[in-house]
Amino acid sequence: MSNFRRLLGYLRPYRYRVFLAVFLMFMVTLTALPLPRIIQFVIDRVLPHHMWHTLNWIFWIIIGIYLFRGIVSFSLNYLIGWLGQRVVFDLRFHSYRHLNRLSLSYYDQRQTGKIMARAVDDINVIQYMITGGFVTLITDMLTLVLVIPVIFLMNVKLALIAMAVVPIYVFNYKLFLKKIRPLSVEIRKSWDALIGTLQEKISGITVVKAFVRENYETEQFIKTIRLNYDLQMTQATLNRILAATATIIRAVGTGLVYWIGAKLVGVHTLKVGELVAFTGYIGYLYDPALRLVDFNVQAQWAGASMDRVFEVLDTRPEITDAPNAKSMTNLKGSVTFRHVSFGYSRDNQALIDINLDVQPGEVIAIVGPSGAGKTTLVNLIARFYDATEGAILIDGVDIRQIRLESVRRQIGYVSQESLLFSVSLAENIRYGRNDATREQIIQAAKNADLHDFIMTLPDGYDTKIGEEGIKLSVGQKQRMAIARATLTNPRILILDDATSALDSKTEANVQAALEKLMKGRTNFVIAHRLATIMNADRIVVMDKGRIVDIGTHAELVAREGVYQNLYNEQFKSAQDEALAELLG
Amino acid sequence: MRNFLRLVRELKAYWKIMVLIAILTVITAGLGLPGPLIVAHLIDSLYKHNPINLFLVFLALVGIAAGTGLVGYCLTFAVTYLGQQFKMEMRRRLYSHMQTLSLGYFEKNQIGKMMSNITNDVATLDQLISGSFVRLMQDSATLIGVLVIVFIKDWKLALVALSVSPFYVANYLLHIGHIKKAADDVREERDIMLGDLQEKLAGAMVVKSYAKERTEVRQFVGQTRNLLDLNVDLSMLGTRLWTIAEFIGSGCGVALIIWYGGREVMMNRLSPGNLVAFISFITGYMYGPILRLIQLNDQFARTNAALNRIFGTLDTEPNIQNKPAAKVMPDIKGHVEYKHVWFEYEPGQPVLKDINLDIKPGMMVAFVGQSGSGKTTMINLLSRHYDVTDGAILVDGYDLRDVTIDSLRKQVGVVIQETILFNTSIRENIRYGKLDATNEEVEDAARAANIAHVIEALPKGYDTLIGEAGIKLSGGEKQRIAIARAILSDPRILVLDEATSSLDSETESLIQEALDHLMKGRTSFVVAHRLSTIVASDLIVVMEKGVIREAGSHLELLQQGGIYASLYNQQFKVALESREAEGVKL
Ligand SMILES: Nc1ncnc2c1ncn2[C@@H]1O[C@H](COP(=O)(O)OP(=O)(O)OP(=O)(O)O)[C@@H](O)[C@H]1O
Ligand SMILES: Nc1ncnc2c1ncn2[C@@H]1O[C@H](COP(=O)(O)OP(=O)(O)OP(=O)(O)O)[C@@H](O)[C@H]1O
Ligand SMILES: [Mg+2]
Ligand SMILES: [Mg+2]
Repeated sequence: MSNFRRLLGYLRPYRYRVFLAVFLMFMVTLTALPLPRIIQFVIDRVLPHHMWHTLNWIFWIIIGIYLFRGIVSFSLNYLIGWLGQRVVFDLRFHSYRHLNRLSLSYYDQRQTGKIMARAVDDINVIQYMITGGFVTLITDMLTLVLVIPVIFLMNVKLALIAMAVVPIYVFNYKLFLKKIRPLSVEIRKSWDALIGTLQEKISGITVVKAFVRENYETEQFIKTIRLNYDLQMTQATLNRILAATATIIRAVGTGLVYWIGAKLVGVHTLKVGELVAFTGYIGYLYDPALRLVDFNVQAQWAGASMDRVFEVLDTRPEITDAPNAKSMTNLKGSVTFRHVSFGYSRDNQALIDINLDVQPGEVIAIVGPSGAGKTTLVNLIARFYDATEGAILIDGVDIRQIRLESVRRQIGYVSQESLLFSVSLAENIRYGRNDATREQIIQAAKNADLHDFIMTLPDGYDTKIGEEGIKLSVGQKQRMAIARATLTNPRILILDDATSALDSKTEANVQAALEKLMKGRTNFVIAHRLATIMNADRIVVMDKGRIVDIGTHAELVAREGVYQNLYNEQFKSAQDEALAELLG
Repeated sequence: MRNFLRLVRELKAYWKIMVLIAILTVITAGLGLPGPLIVAHLIDSLYKHNPINLFLVFLALVGIAAGTGLVGYCLTFAVTYLGQQFKMEMRRRLYSHMQTLSLGYFEKNQIGKMMSNITNDVATLDQLISGSFVRLMQDSATLIGVLVIVFIKDWKLALVALSVSPFYVANYLLHIGHIKKAADDVREERDIMLGDLQEKLAGAMVVKSYAKERTEVRQFVGQTRNLLDLNVDLSMLGTRLWTIAEFIGSGCGVALIIWYGGREVMMNRLSPGNLVAFISFITGYMYGPILRLIQLNDQFARTNAALNRIFGTLDTEPNIQNKPAAKVMPDIKGHVEYKHVWFEYEPGQPVLKDINLDIKPGMMVAFVGQSGSGKTTMINLLSRHYDVTDGAILVDGYDLRDVTIDSLRKQVGVVIQETILFNTSIRENIRYGKLDATNEEVEDAARAANIAHVIEALPKGYDTLIGEAGIKLSGGEKQRIAIARAILSDPRILVLDEATSSLDSETESLIQEALDHLMKGRTSFVVAHRLSTIVASDLIVVMEKGVIREAGSHLELLQQGGIYASLYNQQFKVALESREAEGVKL
């Protein structure tokens, strides 16, 4: 229920329109009332007394009423349509903005398909609820408020009889409500699961095929749709029982009114026309009750959807700007780790007591076994996560005190897995800097040793990539990501295993270009191929979340430890050969 | 139209339930008719002070309602059953068909669109079948019944009542073109928005690294705002249509009946009860069905688009198919030959040019070469994700195109360059290589891939959930799980496409050792840029721009002093120099 109240909160900015809408609903409801009375009048007065002239008048009156009704209800529906769309817009905007604020850890936990389902499907359900359910509900309420006095004024006895069946209906309805609610949640969940699998298995089709798991996947998929099917069927059954009961209760009510009413007509306490009008009005009484079934289903769906949408909106971003965070526009690029510890979860320490002082312009290489925490370390510099303990300073300022956007704009981050968007090559490279000129884009591509390749494509820089365009090889993707990062002219450049898919020659070309470009900037380079990093100013050796050694290549090879082992392993063959050559 | 004929054929399997639905529908429609007649009779009796059994009237009304409720219950149940069954069957067919399509199809289509094919398009179909078809039957039955009754009762009044229907229809026809166009606009804009949304959410990492959140939000707002405007336009058009329709039907129609019918009553040509019955027949049972029947037209148009897409998918032939006479590949020994292989992804842009290779069983072959030179492509061809454009690939003397795809791929274990893992536990991910593997087998595979100690250190061990695409693991951990998965599948030919690029050399050599042991006597392919990974290979193939430039063992290639030698020197320069220096000192 609190969810519904919260949804109403979304209507607050438009409250005057909402009031207007309610007023219009009132008018529309009002216009529905005269007709039974007119029919009564025709039957009881006009027809027995042959009032020809009045009949002509009645014709025009009915036309007039409906014309008025048409105009009012058109305005009403237009207004409602607008309101519904507007709330959807606001909700979408809020959710999306919020999703963008949430830190990476949020995305770590969830499938994209499921996040999508919330931003799109759930909000649509809510919209139907507003434009359909809410409006009907309010109109129905208004109708009830107007009709109940009318029937009591017409005939108290009949009115009491008509009302007598309502409690039975309400009771019946309440009984079902209990079962339907959890079911809607289940259905929504099963649908989520379906979307989730679909998205994951379609994007992972290469693996499905590589292991010849097509049949297996189909079976899995059938399981999810079957679950959804079963739930839908249960829901349909429940709803239908409710609806059938409602029909019968309604008929009992109407039948009773005819029965008693006819008796009253017999003893002349009621006129025939009045009876007809009365049965017309009790339609207004029962219809809302019947519609409650539809509304109920809708409300349950919407309730489940609201839970999910609001859950997104209520998730606190873990990383936000401190209230007094300052914006730092021209970073020098010194980075300091002070006793930094970090864990993705409480019982898993990815970094332990890291101390590191990097001067502006230094090239720092990070090496170490897989899982040592290299990526985690650079993730902290870009503040994708906040350190659990200790502090990271950039230019001497704790990064939690700097505006997030101003730090990230000055960091060029090439992640371990290259992710490009389905737009043209030029647009991908330009992603970090929209105002880049063609020359700058080409220069960036040249830096990444990609220009020649791009020129061999028929559409050159305007070639689309991704699902609708060509596919790049993995090394080409990595170079795209490097080009994209260099274009933003960052003060701090982070290359996380960013050249692992490049052959040494291409890598050397890229490195030569970068070296020129990166003069005076701070660089972090993670690589497993030691040739890549041997020229670094300092090499940081990590193991099991700790920094175990720091030094230049020459220093590190000379002393026993992780680095020397890595070195020996990688260059064993070369050493053997050199030795063999020497020995003859 | 062809689409609908085909749809009807698809529905043939459900003919029993459809007949049942038809019968129930006609009964429901029929049950609606007596009500107003009974009331008419009641009113007339009251009017003329004729005696009437009121209890019977009550019973009749309640009985009819009970009947309607019961039949309605069965009807909805049958309809829901049909709709849901059909939906499930369609989704199953689409999905399993997609599974048979080759990789090329998935590269050419957006994930979002394929998903929407299975979810939304099928839902549209269901709307037609369980919504419109049923309404079509029900409305036609009602309409016929009502027309017969009113014409029998008073044909002139019936004609008067019908006289407004041309306006009714005209109003609809005037609007529908605009509405359809507006709806198409909405759909188009929504697809664009969805596509973008999916990509940007999946790429949250990149959006964040470039601090582009605000730009993205702004762009999204632009799109949703367009969508808002289009939707408001659409809803306005719809509202206009319905408002005018209500005015014509309920307003003018009823006014006409009361006016004309009233005159008839006064001239004693119609009873008052029948007038009341007329009013309820006309308002309740005539205009609604007429409008809905015309509306079907629109529904058909919309469904037609969905049907086009659904049948389009179902009719897509996989590029790679088993030949009718395809044999089952017997246990592979591992003799692989590339014979004058040419290949192109896009017509006219050959990626592999005249590749010739002869790989003896048990050999370890390494591919090196520039990024984009076609190494991954060579491997894609071996597991027959694509067919060669020209030439042939033979395994143990069998042309790949002559054996069944399953029997080939089951024996070729590929660890692809970009690791793909699923959002389940580590155990399930590894087990994907062999679904009936025992826990021990899984753990052995993990051990061979040198990842067991990492997994065992986790609080939940093998049951740890790894997030979408394994996001909670480090790059090298993901690679090792992918290797474990391939090892578990026990392939006759193992392909590692840069499968150890994110591993340090020590871990890598441990895995290499384990693999040497496991793959003894089996053929293996390795793509790597770190030359230390491949120096021990039996054959090193150096590729450049789709052609093989050099092939031979490490020593041979070094002596040749070609591309390989220069790559080698580049990578080992420092080591060689320092060793020489040390050697000199010796
Ligand atoms: N599915 C595809 N559709 C169209 N072109 C493709 C496709 N896959 C690869 N290509 C193109 O074919 C060429 C060879 O690609 P391939 O993936 O075989 O290179 P690679 O040698 O594996 O490179 P890397 O070392 O970078 O992974 C590249 O120019 C690439 O752009
Ligand atoms: N999002 C995450 N959630 C939970 N644990 C994580 C997450 N990312 C990484 N880890 C864990 O933290 C540890 C360090 O991971 P990290 O990615 O920093 O390693 P790495 O040194 O970059 O390794 P690699 O060379 O394999 O990329 C690993 O044990 C990994 O499983
Ligand atoms: Mg990493
Ligand atoms: Mg490749």
